[in-house]
Amino acid sequence: MASKRKIVAAVMFLLSLHLAILLAGFVAPYDPAAQNRDFPFAPPTRVRFVDAAGHLHARPFIYQCVARPDGIYEYEESRELRYPVHLFVVGPEYKLVGLWPSRVHLFGVEAPAQIFLAGTDNYGRDQFSRILYGGQISVAAGLLATGTSLLLGLLIGCVSGFYGKWLDESAMRLAELFLVLPWLYLLLAVRAFLPLHISPTQTFLLLVVVIGTIGWARPARLIRGIVLGAKNRKYVTASRSFGASDYYILRRHVLPHTYGILLTQAALLVPQYVIAEVTLSFFGLGLSEPMPSWGNLLANLQQYNVLVSYWWMFLPALALVLVSFGYLNVANAFHERLQSGST
Amino acid sequence: MKYLERRVIHGILLLIGVSVLCFLFSDLAPGSFFDEMKLNPQISSETVAALRSQYGLDKPLPVRYARWVESVLGGEWGYSFAYNSSVRSLLVVRARNTLLLTTLATLFSWLVAVPLGVWISNHPGKWYDRLSMGGTSLLLSVPELVLVFGLLYFAIRTHALPVGGMTSVGFDQLGLWGKTIDLVTHLIVPVTTLVLASLPVLVRHVRASMVEVLKLPFIQAARGHGIGPARLLFRYALPAAGNPLISLFGLSVAGLLSGSLLVEVITGWPGIGPLLLEASMSRDLYVVVGAVMSSTLFMVFGSLLADVMLVVVDPRIRVE
Amino acid sequence: MGTEAVGRAIKPALVKARALCKRYVQRAPFSRKKFVIDALMDVDLEIALGCLTALVGESGSGKSTLASCLGILEKPDRGEIWFEGSKVSFANSRELTALRPKIQMVFQDSAGALNPRFSAAQIIEEPLEIQGRESGARLRARACELMEEVGLSPDAGNRSPLEFSGGQRQRLAIARALALKPTFLILDESLSGLDLATQAQILNLLLDLQTSHSLTYLLISHDLSLVGQVADFVAVMHHGKIVECGSRQQVFSAPQHAHTKELLASVGVVEAAFRTAQVGGGQ
Ligand SMILES: Nc1ncnc2c1ncn2[C@@H]1O[C@H](COP(=O)(O)OP(=O)(O)O)[C@@H](O)[C@H]1O
Ligand SMILES: [Mg+2]
Repeated sequence: MASKRKIVAAVMFLLSLHLAILLAGFVAPYDPAAQNRDFPFAPPTRVRFVDAAGHLHARPFIYQCVARPDGIYEYEESRELRYPVHLFVVGPEYKLVGLWPSRVHLFGVEAPAQIFLAGTDNYGRDQFSRILYGGQISVAAGLLATGTSLLLGLLIGCVSGFYGKWLDESAMRLAELFLVLPWLYLLLAVRAFLPLHISPTQTFLLLVVVIGTIGWARPARLIRGIVLGAKNRKYVTASRSFGASDYYILRRHVLPHTYGILLTQAALLVPQYVIAEVTLSFFGLGLSEPMPSWGNLLANLQQYNVLVSYWWMFLPALALVLVSFGYLNVANAFHERLQSGST
Repeated sequence: MKYLERRVIHGILLLIGVSVLCFLFSDLAPGSFFDEMKLNPQISSETVAALRSQYGLDKPLPVRYARWVESVLGGEWGYSFAYNSSVRSLLVVRARNTLLLTTLATLFSWLVAVPLGVWISNHPGKWYDRLSMGGTSLLLSVPELVLVFGLLYFAIRTHALPVGGMTSVGFDQLGLWGKTIDLVTHLIVPVTTLVLASLPVLVRHVRASMVEVLKLPFIQAARGHGIGPARLLFRYALPAAGNPLISLFGLSVAGLLSGSLLVEVITGWPGIGPLLLEASMSRDLYVVVGAVMSSTLFMVFGSLLADVMLVVVDPRIRVE
Repeated sequence: MGTEAVGRAIKPALVKARALCKRYVQRAPFSRKKFVIDALMDVDLEIALGCLTALVGESGSGKSTLASCLGILEKPDRGEIWFEGSKVSFANSRELTALRPKIQMVFQDSAGALNPRFSAAQIIEEPLEIQGRESGARLRARACELMEEVGLSPDAGNRSPLEFSGGQRQRLAIARALALKPTFLILDESLSGLDLATQAQILNLLLDLQTSHSLTYLLISHDLSLVGQVADFVAVMHHGKIVECGSRQQVFSAPQHAHTKELLASVGVVEAAFRTAQVGGGQ
């Protein structure tokens, strides 16, 4: 089945992205906050196979990056020594998944050379590491906010569809309100009323809750529709005749119908919410420096000279696009599968 | 015109609902929203006292809401603490600028999406169909934030377009023609961003509804009668696919407004977006409410416009 | 057989219904017009213990509505229901929970009443699970027992009900209804939509089960000829009212209401075919 292969491919792609982000400490060669005051705005290091003398090497290597004596923020490679790229090198200490301390990194080069796969920012911090660590925040915010939305949607949709009457009526009117409002306006308005200067953890949780709460309406509406269809089935009446409670009926007969929609909605919501978090952090309403979030990284682009001169500062955007792309593919594949299943 | 009357009432109820929601949210703030105001050196104590009596700032939520409604009806729309002026005077110019941006973006995105969608729907599976579908799915995963920076980069690098704001420095000295040119060149980056961002969804919807219609027997029959493809597509099939597309028009306004906020902030377009952001940061309550209300107003207008079009296109709706 | 029926007639009533009324109000889509359907109008009914009472009437006459009221699935607007001599109160949920297992129903639309996501065994286990009668391995064992009892192979336990034939689905539904060991079983159109041979098989199964489980039946059908063979009592429904009620002999030999006569007129045609089928069905 073509659609099944599609799902597998799309999910594999997404999984590898998430794995890299989850294991950021291992994949990233450096600490995201470590500054190299000598190398602000260093361009991405070129990984080479052919050395200056024209010899081919099996193991990729780099040349050390040095500041040009005559310019500021201008760099060149010092061609004297080759620094081979090694796998599983020992480097700065980090905690894998925030739990297990370790010093082993996926790749790295020997000091004094440094490998900046995505260049450095104005403090000389390695952007590649920052993108990976930033992903932890942005993607986690997206995932948790999606969970919040779906949970709220499931709860409200189930109650609304199952019990009907005025509960349903008022919930659906409220959903309409949330649906028609431009989400970014709503997001900013809600954010405006909440405290600005709080600890990073609190900010993060606040972001998750605010973003997740704003998006409850669509899943709630979809789930309500499914519950409405499912609760009038004859087998639900039959279940009642055996003395089943509402909870039993919801759990056994109604909820299984919602899984398809929940999955598809999740795949659609996660990228939206990642973008929402990025947007808020970009505006300075989310997590602030030195925490790397994709929004903070992209905020550098608001400086004219950064936008014009340092193209690698666009690379966090690429990460954002890749994640969106991955999720949209999965959503499409799920959707096709649901469609083909229902007809 | 019973249908339209109902839609107008619906829109008004929506506006009321949104305003109530805004005030409810404002009450969520831990500590009073107005405690911070007292700390703000920009606001004199006389102002605070005047505001307090006018808006009942220390009164409970319903009173504040009632005072605000009074001020809306009086045309003032509340008071901006940061600007020391009525919210309406701030909003009117901003709203005009946002409206200019979003109207143009809506216009151009539909002008591109409809012909493109109709054209590719006629030959599903052809190379240009697959190219467009691939292109739209790629474009779909590029958020506005990224698009606008890409375009800005392009504009700056080529020196083809002015960047930032709505007008150049010497705008007032320019003649009418010069002013127009200046405005248009400033519009290109934000409008293009918005068009590119809304295009994928629109093209896909146009294509999908056209593909459905083209399967219908009456189209097959018309084809059989030897009616030319252009006439067949635009005179026969497109009107039949019209209703869902018109409904989509109403919905697309909301997405466009969100995109517009972001683009306005980044390109420095003096619309509602930067105002709302600024007000969010400085917690300028009535400005936040006013900005949200005006965006809702645009939304309601957009969907009313869609409703009017529906009634014009599909007489059955009038009967109901 | 005549004396036997009279003998049964003096048995006490298991279920009594008095002056049941049920009205459905439906709103037409996109308009404020309301449609009122009086599905039950002052229905009185007594169902004798251990007997098979047939409820006959054309489609739309309110049979299923009466069944759901008697099965305590719908609350009648007015009227009272007694079960085993005590009044059924719809408000008291504890009493209802105790009553539910005693009154079971086989629903009209057998395909719709079986969740297609469940396997056959899971379907039979459901009532046991809800009532907490069995758990673990005993649950599955009991389901297999019940399947055997209604003539289904326990090997089919893992199959989806969608894969079953109409007759097999009916058997599955009956097995599920029997799981809680009810005293009163309502069979809503359980024989409709089946071919004649299958109808006869199911009917025989029901009669066997009646003696082995000492069940009281309410068998609902739109077809008088079908139930005329086996019913002890017959009630005829028409436009939400019971227009005729009595022992089979009374109703068949001396119908009072014009509608019953109408129904009877069409019986003769089918009866011959039914007899052949019964023989063919292996009686
Ligand atoms: N849930 C319901 N809502 C509205 N009308 C109903 C409902 N159930 C049954 N009816 C109506 O009540 C009448 C009796 O239906 P029913 O009891 O199913 O008849 P029967 O089972 O004899 O065919 C029919 O006219 C039917 O349309
Ligand atoms: Mg029925």
